[in-house]
Amino acid sequence: MDLNNPKTAQAGTLESMDCVVTITGPEKNGVIEITGSASARFETVMKKVINETLDGLGAREPVRVHVQDNGAMDIVLGARVEAAYKRYIGEFTR
Amino acid sequence: MERNAVNREIPSRIDGYGSTDGRLFEGAFARKPSGYRAGAKIRAAIPNGSSKLSGSVKEAVMASGLKSGMTISFHHHLRNGDYIVNSVIQACSELGIGDLTIFPTALFDVHKAIIPHIKSGVVSRIMGSDNGAIGRLVSEGGLDSPVVLRSHGGRPRAVISGDVHIDVAFIAAPMVDRMGNISGRSGKSACGSIGYAFTDAQYADVVVAVTDNLHGYPISPISIPGIYVDLIAETESIGDPAGIVSGTTRVTRDPMRLLIAKYASRLIESSPYFMDGISFQTGAGGIPLAVTAFMKEAMKRRDIRGSFGLGGITGFFVDLMKEGLLQKLLDVQSFDLDAVSSIESDPNHIEISADWYANPWNCGAAVNMLDIVVLGATEVDVNFNANVNTEADGMLLHGIGGHQDTAAGAKLSIIAQPLLRGRIPCVVDRVHTITTPGEVIDAVVTEFGVTINPRRKDLLNAWSDFTYARDIPLVSIDELAERAGRMSGPMEPIRAADRVVAVVEWRDGTVIDTVRQLEK
Repeated sequence: MDLNNPKTAQAGTLESMDCVVTITGPEKNGVIEITGSASARFETVMKKVINETLDGLGAREPVRVHVQDNGAMDIVLGARVEAAYKRYIGEFTR
Repeated sequence: MERNAVNREIPSRIDGYGSTDGRLFEGAFARKPSGYRAGAKIRAAIPNGSSKLSGSVKEAVMASGLKSGMTISFHHHLRNGDYIVNSVIQACSELGIGDLTIFPTALFDVHKAIIPHIKSGVVSRIMGSDNGAIGRLVSEGGLDSPVVLRSHGGRPRAVISGDVHIDVAFIAAPMVDRMGNISGRSGKSACGSIGYAFTDAQYADVVVAVTDNLHGYPISPISIPGIYVDLIAETESIGDPAGIVSGTTRVTRDPMRLLIAKYASRLIESSPYFMDGISFQTGAGGIPLAVTAFMKEAMKRRDIRGSFGLGGITGFFVDLMKEGLLQKLLDVQSFDLDAVSSIESDPNHIEISADWYANPWNCGAAVNMLDIVVLGATEVDVNFNANVNTEADGMLLHGIGGHQDTAAGAKLSIIAQPLLRGRIPCVVDRVHTITTPGEVIDAVVTEFGVTINPRRKDLLNAWSDFTYARDIPLVSIDELAERAGRMSGPMEPIRAADRVVAVVEWRDGTVIDTVRQLEK
């Protein structure tokens, strides 16, 4: 893990019912930060979706996941996390 | 702790508000007035006496006799462009006046300039709507006393019945003459109607008009006569025109919101109230404006002529009148440039006070003549109770406006809104704050169809004959709540402390709900 060589990738928009997911890494420990309108009432569910999506993608390296939420449903959030993560590991390019 | 008629637990005593004994909400029309109107101190301007012109805002504050601990009032026709609240509070701070209760009709983001004066004790209490930054401060416990929220009709009722006594009223005057006759219709800071300020002028011990547009005596037409006005302060500008009126108010272009507006319009068109003489109020929000546009089309198609449009008036309503679809406009607040220029020039565009508009305790409130009102809400519960004060995170961010008054007065009150706002469900089992009780909400319209309050058996029984709503699904409120919950997923509870940061009064002065401080 090369902590001196950080990478960043992003997916999503700030349209209503969407979110912007920014993944930065590598990190020593995985971090999830959620800001935005629904974060006060859905944080636990959203964290669960993010972790499950990353696990499903076989992510091992700890990363920082920042979600700027504008009311995304789980299915949208999961898709944005997946896209951001795949960009992060270089599987997709913008 | 006692439960009121909408089953909310209300402390028997609220620090900074007082005892709630005998003041628990009992039902929308339960509490009746008694006794006599309160009154202001009698004062007289002597013939050839000293001038009312008192110089700057600061000099007028000094001349008014304002002292620490007093109550001062403001009105919000200059909206987010208002300079008056900030300059008066600044002057009080410089003069060492503190512990003030401010009694504005509403505060906006522009008033965040008074936050340092709240922290330093110049302002110790707010009774009025708090939109934006100040609402946030209140929710986090930034004020020692709870904010008191009243509707547009509840506020003048509180003044007239003596619940609130105003020591000094400050009136933003876009046009004033040397005797203090005030109009909002012209001048560089023109705002149209100044209806919220009328009761303050009549019931305050001292009335100060603050202007950037002084004329010789007399001006015409006059909205608030100088017989109530003690002092005139002059300042370079009373407000920022860009914040006072919006240039254009737009109909939503979101297809889902348009669908909701169409459903609401069809419900209205099907109802027994859709006939010559129909009156209605729709706010300036995206969906209500679209409802107005669809109703206009329906009125033309079926050759229906309405009687009056009410409330905050937009250019849309002005157009309806110009096209002969409405005969009169009753205007307590002119929202945009078209409304301001219409009230200036058209005698059928009538300025009304908040008392006249919505006070439950007078003999001619305009809301009682209303057929239809289209409203919004942050959430509605399965008992049709509506919350317009707190957001999904429990933050106090909005005032009541005319929500309670129009819902209570109109023959058909409709809440039109999407089932979800972002991920947040708008139909829930229990609303965080009850602003308006379900007994006065007749229908909820969402993208999933029309939901009628079971109390309105007449409408439910007639539904099958509602020709213009034939293709619209009729759904129950339980179905809506269940569907919303399924779509959003489980919500975590709002972390609120016990401390009451805001008291929500029903329009008759009883406590319908309280807002608790948020845990950080």
